[in-house]
Amino acid sequence: MKNLLDVRGLSKRFGGLTAVSDISFSMKRGEIFGIIGPNGAGKTTLFNVIAGQHKASAGGVTFDERDISGYSSDAIARLGIGRTFQAVTVFKSETVAENLRRANVLRRRHNPLAVRSAAASEDRFRAVASFIGLGDHLDGVAGDLAYGLQKLLGVGMAMLIEPKLLLMDEPAAGLNPSEKREAGTLIRRLRDELGISILLIEHDMPLVMDVCDRILVMSQGAKVALDTPSEIKRDSRVIDAYLGDDYDFA
Amino acid sequence: MVYQMLMNGALAGLIYVIMALGFTMIFGIMRIVNFAHGEFYMIGAFVVLLLFGSLGLPFFAAVLAGGVAAAVLGMVLERLLFRRLVHDEMPGMIMSLAVAIILKSLGLITFGPAEHTVPRPFTGTWQAFGAVAPWDRTVVAICALIILAIFYLFLKHSRLGLAMKAVAQDPETASLMGVKSGQIYRAAFGVACLLAGLAGALMAPIYNVGPYMGEMPMLKAFVVVILGGLGSILGAVVGGLLLGLSEAFLSTLLSPLAALIASFAMVLIVVIVRPNGLLGRTAR
Amino acid sequence: MRKTYLAYLIVAALATLPWVVGGRYVFHVATMITIMIPLALSLNLMLKVGQLSLAQAAFMGIGAYGAVLLTMRLDFPPMLSVFAGGLLAAATAAICGPVFLRIKGVYFALLTFAFGQIVNLVFQEWTSLFGGNSGIYGIPKLSVFGMRFSTTQHYYLFGLVFCAVCYVALRLLERSEIGRIFQALKEDETLSRSLGSNALAWRVAAFVGSALIAGIAGGIYGFYIGFLSPDAFTFWLSVDLIVMNVVGGATSVLGPVLGAIFIVPLPEFLREARAFQLLIYGVVLIIFLVLIKDGLVTLFERRKPG
Repeated sequence: MKNLLDVRGLSKRFGGLTAVSDISFSMKRGEIFGIIGPNGAGKTTLFNVIAGQHKASAGGVTFDERDISGYSSDAIARLGIGRTFQAVTVFKSETVAENLRRANVLRRRHNPLAVRSAAASEDRFRAVASFIGLGDHLDGVAGDLAYGLQKLLGVGMAMLIEPKLLLMDEPAAGLNPSEKREAGTLIRRLRDELGISILLIEHDMPLVMDVCDRILVMSQGAKVALDTPSEIKRDSRVIDAYLGDDYDFA
Repeated sequence: MVYQMLMNGALAGLIYVIMALGFTMIFGIMRIVNFAHGEFYMIGAFVVLLLFGSLGLPFFAAVLAGGVAAAVLGMVLERLLFRRLVHDEMPGMIMSLAVAIILKSLGLITFGPAEHTVPRPFTGTWQAFGAVAPWDRTVVAICALIILAIFYLFLKHSRLGLAMKAVAQDPETASLMGVKSGQIYRAAFGVACLLAGLAGALMAPIYNVGPYMGEMPMLKAFVVVILGGLGSILGAVVGGLLLGLSEAFLSTLLSPLAALIASFAMVLIVVIVRPNGLLGRTAR
Repeated sequence: MRKTYLAYLIVAALATLPWVVGGRYVFHVATMITIMIPLALSLNLMLKVGQLSLAQAAFMGIGAYGAVLLTMRLDFPPMLSVFAGGLLAAATAAICGPVFLRIKGVYFALLTFAFGQIVNLVFQEWTSLFGGNSGIYGIPKLSVFGMRFSTTQHYYLFGLVFCAVCYVALRLLERSEIGRIFQALKEDETLSRSLGSNALAWRVAAFVGSALIAGIAGGIYGFYIGFLSPDAFTFWLSVDLIVMNVVGGATSVLGPVLGAIFIVPLPEFLREARAFQLLIYGVVLIIFLVLIKDGLVTLFERRKPG
């Protein structure tokens, strides 16, 4: 079977600054693929370009055998690329249930002329809520939830667009150790139970090394290495890229 | 013919630049779209009407007084009404509409709806390359150039000017560096209204003076600012001259309405091709 | 929520007031209110997607001139013209919307401002079609099912019906899934788009809907007043609509209704001086912006928590 995602020579420049420079990689279906690198390496910019929030300065992206270069972010979402954001992004003043309902409606009626599909049930969000473990918090106001739960809600909302690929931007940042373990479990369950491939940006090395099948290392916008976790741990270039940063390669 | 149009365009363009600079500066620093900008232009003109037209004071003294009056009023209104709405775009815009309505109504109450003429301080024409330029417009253009030069030096070299630029570019870093934002807001509003007041004061003898006189320059400032990029100083200069010249050519060759519609079409094309304006900052 | 019914009751009582007080002039003011309410609601619809439109007066003008000219030049039945004028305004919005709404917020407000000014200049300058500043005279009366609208009362009743239709439509919209979508787009567009929502298409839809309402209101105005000139459709009318939304409370559909009822009769006490009207509008606007941020509607509705 063909690759799920092909990123070909992607670059993004802001004025004179090159944030992402000539990045290429491919993801297989069902893969959990990690992107690591020091702060400012261009990881989030790379996400934003893949998700259509920024236009690429050069290069292209193929997803599910379709060239999605230049597509708008909402069109890309509808084709099956969900994403979560680095800072929690939920509708803070609304309840968990309302957040999930909105996610449900936004995809289903993505434009004024979209026909309601009968298959999409109003209550689909309950199944998602229990999958992410927020079944008991449906009436809580999102902004009042603990940080970790808000991040879970963000994942749940992205799940409601039924993605084939989920881009997760630092899902474990700001979580305590036990929450981090749960995040790792959730990422695996998304793949194993729902068949969602995962593209993951994360600073937490134990988590990345544990869940990812392959890892791309970026530094200053460029690719440093791309390999399996066990190889990455041994790669001297990777260790160089991190020199000066207190990263723990446990 | 071409020289004539170039000259007219440059004259008009310079006034647009002065209007647009203040407008874009307030937005860049405070994120407030000042719909009352045209009314500060009107105030400058009314001061000239009073001091120069009625009381017979020297023209340049009246112009200066017009600019200062607009600036002082601008600073007072900034502190009383706009300060609380900094970076809150929608309410800020609505507040500026309220101020515009009040200033316009005060203009109507004081001077009536009719337009007044101000005697011309300079008469006659001069010629170069087959183009005829009236002296009064030439003096306005020279004054506009002087104002722009002073403004440029102010932004480039004065402490206050540099601080204003810093706040416009990156408010957070600027506040970390100890720039007092309140002071900057007052200065920005003051300078912007000074520019608008001076523009209105200079134009008073050329066009008629009335409570509705600010609407057209404000529309032009909007067009310039969208063309050049909201918040961009260089954009205001380029956009203003571009608009002045294109209008001069089109209104001579076609009609003033055609020129206006063409400038609007130009804006739409810029919006489609470069949504942040010709020289606007690209969003990150 | 019971207080909302109190507001409905008050509005209904006010609606019958012209018959109690009587007099042609009272009916005139009441009719003007029923024309301004849909216009204020049309702006409210744009505010629901988080965009401030300054083109509403222009859409009203397009509807008014369109309807009147269809009847006077092409012999359309007046009632048909009113709706055709609304469709004309909606079509204009559908053509301009995808361009205007590519950019949001302040830029959109500035673009719609410029658009409104240009439309008004076209009304002024294209004299062969629009009659220029001297306007269009001798507009026939509206009629429905062969019954001619001969008195102000007829227009008032018709206006009331149109207001009710607009209010109910917007209320239903607010409570429907679309209301949920609008709220999501307004609160966080990046998030909404990452969930697949075509923000641009929805904003254009709101823009077209608001132009339709404004255009129909314009048509009713044209046939009611019987005389059209460009200065009825300037930028300052759009500003009046903003005043109504701020004073009534833009967060609710009831807000602009209350705002129009409060604001439209205000200048009638000062009919002699347009200058003092403006002054009062400005002062009222500042008072509400600074002191009563959520508008009159807060008297009748509980604020949502959060």
